[in-house]
Amino acid sequence: MIKLSDVKKTYEDSLVLKNFTMSMDRGEFAFITGPSGAGKSTLLKLLYCSENVDSGHISVDDWIVSKLKKRTVPFFRRNIGVVFQDFKLLFNKTVFENIALSLQIHHMDPKEILSRVKAMLKEVKLLHKSDIFPQFLSGGEQQRVVIARAMVTQPMLLLADEPTGNLDSDNTRGIMRLFREINLKGTTVLIATHNEDLYYGSGRRVFFLNNSHIEKEIVG
Amino acid sequence: MKILKYFFGTAFKSIWMEKWINLLTILSISIGLSIFCSFLLITFNIDSFMKQWSSSFGLVVYLDDEIENGKIQELETYFQQDSELSNIKYVSADEALDEVKTSLGANAVILDDFNDNPLPSTFELQLSNGLIDPKFVRQKADAIKKLHGVTDVQYGEKWLASLNTISDTMKMVAIFFAGAIFISTIFTTYNTIKIFFYRRKEELKTLKLLGATNTFARTPFLIEGSFIGIIGGTISAALIFTLSSFTTTRIVEFMPSVSVVLSPLPFQVYLLIPLIGIVMSLLGSFIAVGRIRY
Repeated sequence: MIKLSDVKKTYEDSLVLKNFTMSMDRGEFAFITGPSGAGKSTLLKLLYCSENVDSGHISVDDWIVSKLKKRTVPFFRRNIGVVFQDFKLLFNKTVFENIALSLQIHHMDPKEILSRVKAMLKEVKLLHKSDIFPQFLSGGEQQRVVIARAMVTQPMLLLADEPTGNLDSDNTRGIMRLFREINLKGTTVLIATHNEDLYYGSGRRVFFLNNSHIEKEIVG
Repeated sequence: MKILKYFFGTAFKSIWMEKWINLLTILSISIGLSIFCSFLLITFNIDSFMKQWSSSFGLVVYLDDEIENGKIQELETYFQQDSELSNIKYVSADEALDEVKTSLGANAVILDDFNDNPLPSTFELQLSNGLIDPKFVRQKADAIKKLHGVTDVQYGEKWLASLNTISDTMKMVAIFFAGAIFISTIFTTYNTIKIFFYRRKEELKTLKLLGATNTFARTPFLIEGSFIGIIGGTISAALIFTLSSFTTTRIVEFMPSVSVVLSPLPFQVYLLIPLIGIVMSLLGSFIAVGRIRY
């Protein structure tokens, strides 16, 4: 499903990833962890083409991500759901509109959008807040909106960057439950986090990223 | 079709949210187009007047007092064969005197002092439609003047030259304004759309991360630009129509004879103004969305 081999990525003078190699199977649920600045976010950005790789090979499903042409990138991104660290919610749109946006980008029928968004809102337990603007939601609720937006298109891959960063333990549990449910439906999930509690005891693969490469790989 | 709903929804939401900037842009466009249309209206009226005048514009060919009848016949045939001339009319000296007497009415007695008829025989010629270019008329008059039996050719040379100069000047001014307004409208829309673009830069970045194509992100801006243009153009068309009707009515009230000369702009032009507004604004929007990177 995901394959990275010999990937190199630098930001000006700083080397972020070097000889980076990892792979994930379809339907897998895995974590990537490491100290701040280790390159977790960069790895995810490379996977959803927000950053370009310096050298090496990246592929997701049948897409050769490292060789994607600029005009093909949007179509590739439609196969991926991303839970951004800074949420990237649109504050001039309601919860419903934020989630519907992903489907509008897919040129989906308005009736289909309505039913899918409603179902998704029900799943993340925010149906009663569909007409509210995101700034009036708590951090946990905003995070659930972001997850709903990422999932509503039923992507093959879900990438989450520090999805529980500022959440209390109750909210964290709720979010992780959502990810598990999503994974059970067949979506491959990769979560970047430095929160040990998320992966210890999860029984999932955990990649430890340090010094620009995978230092070790364990089962949490 | 389903995506159009999103495009129009997003565009009109933005139009409402940015209503003050949009209003200013619409006003700028409508003022610009109104200035241009005013010149168009004036030029159109001068042209229309020229056309009306040209239909009655003629040359008077004065003949030698001693000219023989055969020569007159020869000249008449010559004029009739010339496709650039029309309505050829021979006025003999006696007919000319009768006409003068008729027009003088009771004052015709002043002509009794003349022993002989002081008026010469003439040919009254009209030029075929549209051939009232001063240079052409002068050349024609000079050519006729050289004919045997012709003593002089007269026409409203100064009038013709003045009208022609005014018409040409107005056309040049209209072209200048058209160019200036075309550029300024494009620039105004360009700036407005660029401002909107920058204000929504974060939103656009998110859209792209969610898989939106450039077309998807940019189309609402183009719709917004077109809307600005069509409203600006419509206001301008309405303004010019109202002003033109009002001015015409007022002028005719004071000078009823002028009503024959005054011509309103054809209705199609009023339909064309909003379209011109759209084209200009769309062009400005295209340049704006094409140049900005996000």
